[in-house]
Amino acid sequence: MSTFQALSDDILAHAPIAEPTPVKLSVRDLDFYYGKNKTLNSISLDFHDRSVTALIGPSGCGKSTLLRTLNRIYSLYPNQTATGEILLDGENILASGKDLNNLRARVGMVFQKPTPFPMSIYENIAFAVRMYEKLSKSEMDERVEWGLRKVALWDEVKDKLHASGNGLSGGQQQRLCIARSVVLNPEVLLLDEPASALDPISTMKIEELISELRADYTIIIVTHNMQQAARTSDYTAFMYLGDLVEISPTRELFTNPREARTRDYITGRFG
Amino acid sequence: MSVQIPVRRTTERQVSSPYQRRMYMRRRLTSMFHMTMAHLVTALGIAMLAWILWSLFGEGLSAVSLKLFTEMTPPPGSDGGLLNAIVGSLMMVGIATVLGIPIGLLVGTYLAEYGRYAKISAVVRFINDILLSAPSILIGLFVYELVVVPMGHFSGYAGAIALAVIALPVVVRTSEDMLLLVPDSLREAAAALGIPRWRVILQVSYRAAGPGLLTGALLAVARISGETAPLLFTSLNNQFWSANLNHPMANLPVVIFNFAMSPYEDWRALAWAGALLITLAVLGLTIAARILLAAKSRMKG
Repeated sequence: MSTFQALSDDILAHAPIAEPTPVKLSVRDLDFYYGKNKTLNSISLDFHDRSVTALIGPSGCGKSTLLRTLNRIYSLYPNQTATGEILLDGENILASGKDLNNLRARVGMVFQKPTPFPMSIYENIAFAVRMYEKLSKSEMDERVEWGLRKVALWDEVKDKLHASGNGLSGGQQQRLCIARSVVLNPEVLLLDEPASALDPISTMKIEELISELRADYTIIIVTHNMQQAARTSDYTAFMYLGDLVEISPTRELFTNPREARTRDYITGRFG
Repeated sequence: MSVQIPVRRTTERQVSSPYQRRMYMRRRLTSMFHMTMAHLVTALGIAMLAWILWSLFGEGLSAVSLKLFTEMTPPPGSDGGLLNAIVGSLMMVGIATVLGIPIGLLVGTYLAEYGRYAKISAVVRFINDILLSAPSILIGLFVYELVVVPMGHFSGYAGAIALAVIALPVVVRTSEDMLLLVPDSLREAAAALGIPRWRVILQVSYRAAGPGLLTGALLAVARISGETAPLLFTSLNNQFWSANLNHPMANLPVVIFNFAMSPYEDWRALAWAGALLITLAVLGLTIAARILLAAKSRMKG
């Protein structure tokens, strides 16, 4: 039985969205360079508000690179450049002079490997909140609890809030990292293979969490795992060698892809 | 100190042809030869160290008494201690630490965080490496020209500055190395929350590298507490009690240097005692640094 058939109805969790939500983030003719090496070729696509879009494709296809342009995290490295336009609510975030810290508070990101800061669980969450809001002790306590509840971590850590974040399991650390982003009330959440370093149970929890967060945020998730894309996303974009091959509603892409390359990839003929 | 080389016992193997058997014997002989040599050389190194410590403790312990910490360096032939030298060393090393470590940490931070890819960083690293291996007497001469000559006299300040110049490249190097050990994924994660760069450095990088940074600082202190040459041209020495940094200042290394070469028995005994004190202090600092570093690797694991 091919992956193609296996992915049909039972795995595709979400019903197709009846009416597309408005466009939140719009990428226009995006080129990306590592030094002189071009890794994204004129990418154009839209991400819809309150929906989950999965980016899939073989290693090195540029899906992580695309994600890293959306909050301009690549700007940390002087030899990486992007040209084109990325419009967040109509405003070009690639424009020079953009306040990157403000942008990154609006566009949160969670990485492949959990990265708890070397501080307590409580501080991991309060740290970034303090940058933006002046909260009293009790307000901060509430915010931390809210964040931890949002990622279903509260019950597991409520008795050890002041223990080091490094003492948590990998799955707990990753949920802590998601909570850390969510408490800033971002509009967009970027997830770069958030479950690939986790065991199946932690993965399931993260996927459930994505489904819940979908109601409030625009979520973009990079994944190697096609079942995960099928289970969690509304739209799926397939990328190959720096090109965007196809973006379609997830059900459509997995059951009736427009492009031959997409069909070959999701049926496991290459990749 | 000694390195335990894991010895793998060669299991009896089925060797088929005589050629293979000959080759196998040859490899075993070569291996045994090299292992024996390595053990011998290691033993030689440790024996030297043990010899030094043996004579240091043998000669030094007999001179240690309470007087060491209560009386000044004596004129030849009379009783005395090392109090002025101990206090002078502590003051100058202390000031050198306060001067050298923050500057070194800032330079190391620039190299590892802000200027990692900048061209000037390569230049700074190169110059720092030169400074790191510069003979310390040269640094003494430099500070002599820079501080002692304009002031017109030797002083504790000049000594502290010379020691700070010696500590600086050590701290620059270790703090850069320790900060580079902090994974970039942590910096990215903090930047992705919209946290400004300086705060990421203060609250994430420094915190993650904390034990390593402290270790580097301690090693720098250990390094300067035994330096003699740079002090000869700067703080010189002082036979009497003086806590005035604007005057020539007594210090352990120069006292040891003077007393050890003297023909007087009691001076030589004091030199041994001073050497023992410095060794114990450096040993203490190094052990503290080791413990901190071990704590760091445990934290990572």
